Amino acid sequence: MAYAKLVDVTICTGCRGCMVACKNWNDLPVDTRDYQGSYQSHDKPNGKTWNVLQMKEYENQSGGFEWLFRHQACMHCEEAACVKVCPEVAITTTDMGNVVIDQEKCVGCTYCVQNCPFGIVELAEYVNADGEKAERAQKCDMCNDRIHEGLEPACAVTCPLDAIVFGTKEEMLELAKERLEEAKLTYPDAQIYDPPGVDGTNMIYLLAHPPEVYDLPPNPKVPTSAVVWKDYAQPLGKALLGVTTMAVFTGFITNKLFNKEGHGHDTEEGGEINEETKQ
Amino acid sequence: MKKQNSNESTVKRFSKAFIISHWVNAFAFFALYITALPLYTDFFNWLYPVFGGPEMARLLHRIFAVLFIVPLFLLIIFDFAGFKNWAKNILKWEKKDFQFLMAFPKEFFLGKSKVPKQDFFNAGEKLNSLLTIMCTLMLIGSGFVMWFPGAFASGVVQWAYPIHNIGFGLALAVVVGHIFLSIGHPNSKASMRGMTKGDVPISYAKEHHGVWYDEMVKKGEIKEEKDKSKGA
Repeated sequence: MAYAKLVDVTICTGCRGCMVACKNWNDLPVDTRDYQGSYQSHDKPNGKTWNVLQMKEYENQSGGFEWLFRHQACMHCEEAACVKVCPEVAITTTDMGNVVIDQEKCVGCTYCVQNCPFGIVELAEYVNADGEKAERAQKCDMCNDRIHEGLEPACAVTCPLDAIVFGTKEEMLELAKERLEEAKLTYPDAQIYDPPGVDGTNMIYLLAHPPEVYDLPPNPKVPTSAVVWKDYAQPLGKALLGVTTMAVFTGFITNKLFNKEGHGHDTEEGGEINEETKQ
Repeated sequence: MKKQNSNESTVKRFSKAFIISHWVNAFAFFALYITALPLYTDFFNWLYPVFGGPEMARLLHRIFAVLFIVPLFLLIIFDFAGFKNWAKNILKWEKKDFQFLMAFPKEFFLGKSKVPKQDFFNAGEKLNSLLTIMCTLMLIGSGFVMWFPGAFASGVVQWAYPIHNIGFGLALAVVVGHIFLSIGHPNSKASMRGMTKGDVPISYAKEHHGVWYDEMVKKGEIKEEKDKSKGA
């Protein structure tokens, strides 16, 4: 059954408890940044910081000022581009709908980094059991170890206002609809963000404004190039190799059967040349 | 091994520069193919330890990528005449070239067909060259983007992957045919000597590259072969 994380940005106060809880539970390293002219710490999630609280200063339609806070992390797409393009089958969707990366299988090729419609996945240093360091793709796994033991993700547990809630996708969509009714009273443009282009996501938002306001793609999709690549080019390439190899084998056999003298163009020289090259 | 062939007169076909360029390019092609194979299909993941890990495989792939491009410049510098002849020849498509391609399947499978006189490069070699050039351009162009993804828009980087994929898929299919025709097919085996020793038997030139043969006879570079055969 699919589980989902509902993020209600309309009640988030930007405390960044989710960021701290994530770092803590997932044992992620320090990842400092210089002051960028905003309260926001990092420009976006990366391999060392799996969720980042976006802080936006926004002027609404009536000219009023609004602080927009948005917990941003992996969206856990149902149809995930990273899963599609990974050549090592290192990225998979679990039975609970969260997308996880196996760093032991990852080779750091960055195909997922280049194809994530949300720009979430990035490489970061990974240390394996033997103490070897390598750059491997890392991102939020929705606390895979926790949720498979019946716990909620660290960010959801920590959130003091229940702006992050975890449950079955069905429940979360229900809850989102309930909250949407309330939110609409304050924010007429409020909407649920569960983009159909990637067959829905397992982190869904209740947004106060259209997705563009939060720098979210309005209609994210698995890149067409990734579909061409993985669903057409790659199988066709393998088939083409098979076809030419078969043609060559057939040619080899038919020549053995029907072209015993090995002469070409109805002349005799060919046979002699053939012998010549065998020397 | 027939005695009478050992002293068969030959004619120069390719220069040393041409031959070296060909083999360096061929070596680099397979080195590139093998170093990337585990990324193409995880069936070949056991190749990673062979190369010393994925990082090393990627480094080798980049080194061989440079080696793959260098031969073209070697050819242009050291045998510009040969390069020019090749470039001009493969772009010249006439009726006889299409007739060659029409007759090719029969020749390929059964070894007997009527083919009009061919240029220095026959239509099959022209097609092989053009396909190889096309694949090479796709591979180098997209490979460059993949090497320096930061310098390009994400849409460009994303399209580089399928283009690289199509490029080498097609290239490998072409290469399988190319190799078979040089070492496996009885009618064209003699051409291999042109790419190793640099010369081919005059009889082979006459038979497979009639237009070239006639030109050389006209120029007086070779004596006309007496028609030994009675084969109709």
